[in-house]
Amino acid sequence: MNKVNKNSGFKLPENYLENFNDSLLDKISSQEEIKLPNKDGFVVPKDYFNTLHKNFSDKLEDTPTKVTPLKFYKKYYYSAIAAAAIVLLFAGINLNKTADYSIDDIANSDIDSYIDYTDLNFSSYEIAEVVPVGNLNITDILDAGINEENIIDYLEYDLDSFNELNLDSYDY
Amino acid sequence: MIEERTLIDDLKQVETQEKAFEVLVNTYKERLYWHIRRIVLNHDDADDVLQNTFIKVYKNIANFKGDSKLYSWMYRIATNESLSFLKSKSKKMGISSIALQETLLNNLESDVYFEGDEIQLKLQKAIATLPEKQKLVFNMKYFDEMNYEEISEILETSVGALKASYHLASKKIETYIKVN
Repeated sequence: MNKVNKNSGFKLPENYLENFNDSLLDKISSQEEIKLPNKDGFVVPKDYFNTLHKNFSDKLEDTPTKVTPLKFYKKYYYSAIAAAAIVLLFAGINLNKTADYSIDDIANSDIDSYIDYTDLNFSSYEIAEVVPVGNLNITDILDAGINEENIIDYLEYDLDSFNELNLDSYDY
Repeated sequence: MIEERTLIDDLKQVETQEKAFEVLVNTYKERLYWHIRRIVLNHDDADDVLQNTFIKVYKNIANFKGDSKLYSWMYRIATNESLSFLKSKSKKMGISSIALQETLLNNLESDVYFEGDEIQLKLQKAIATLPEKQKLVFNMKYFDEMNYEEISEILETSVGALKASYHLASKKIETYIKVN
């Protein structure tokens, strides 16, 4: 039997057995599941929640409501429409001097309807002149947005490398 | 717990509004607070944002159409208020949002209202490295233990995209903790 083992022809790498324990421990640690704590560590001052409601009752009377425009680009269309309206008014004044119109006579709802239903046919250069692109988000341009499942599918099946996305940072 | 429909009706009527608002605050303040706190990190900031959230809810309840749950709507307001608060804070301090996150995390170690151990602190630092959406999804799924359908209603994102976000977030956090 010994003769068979000695003549088996198999050989070990140098220092394999001496280093085996260390290699084994390294492999176990790399595969070990990280157990995340289930609490975040945040605490609150004593009685905070019990006194919360009293603390801001006064604020309710004083704070004005801030209105957030849903489609901010519309104000730039308003500027363009207002400019066009002023030109028309001057033309109207010259033709009929008894009329007395101002931009205030055009209701915002009329301007909204005009923007929504008229093909304004602004070129991208004309829009770029008045719309600052620095603070634009995709949701300012696209009403419906892009379906996120489609984005994930695109990233999975159509993208060869993340470099194609030209990502600079995660701050968006 | 008062039925949601009744609460909304009471909130919209002048005679019952004040009492209904007190019920609303008492019912949802803790859940909203912790959601806000995990975004802004600091208690005083979370207190400000929470109050602003309820004020916004109070002033806009008349416009609430009921096409989502009341809590989802409030949660969405709280999320937007928190993110706006951080943007505003970074602008006031004249630093980037990433630099602000670093400052807030550095302050956490000495914060009297943070009692986390080393791994909990590391977890917060790991979460801070995530993109905004992944951060929100991770916090809502892991700490708030919301299901994907609830998160979908609040963030107005598909369940599939949320699952992907959570999966990516978890992997990044595990890697960060291993490496650091």
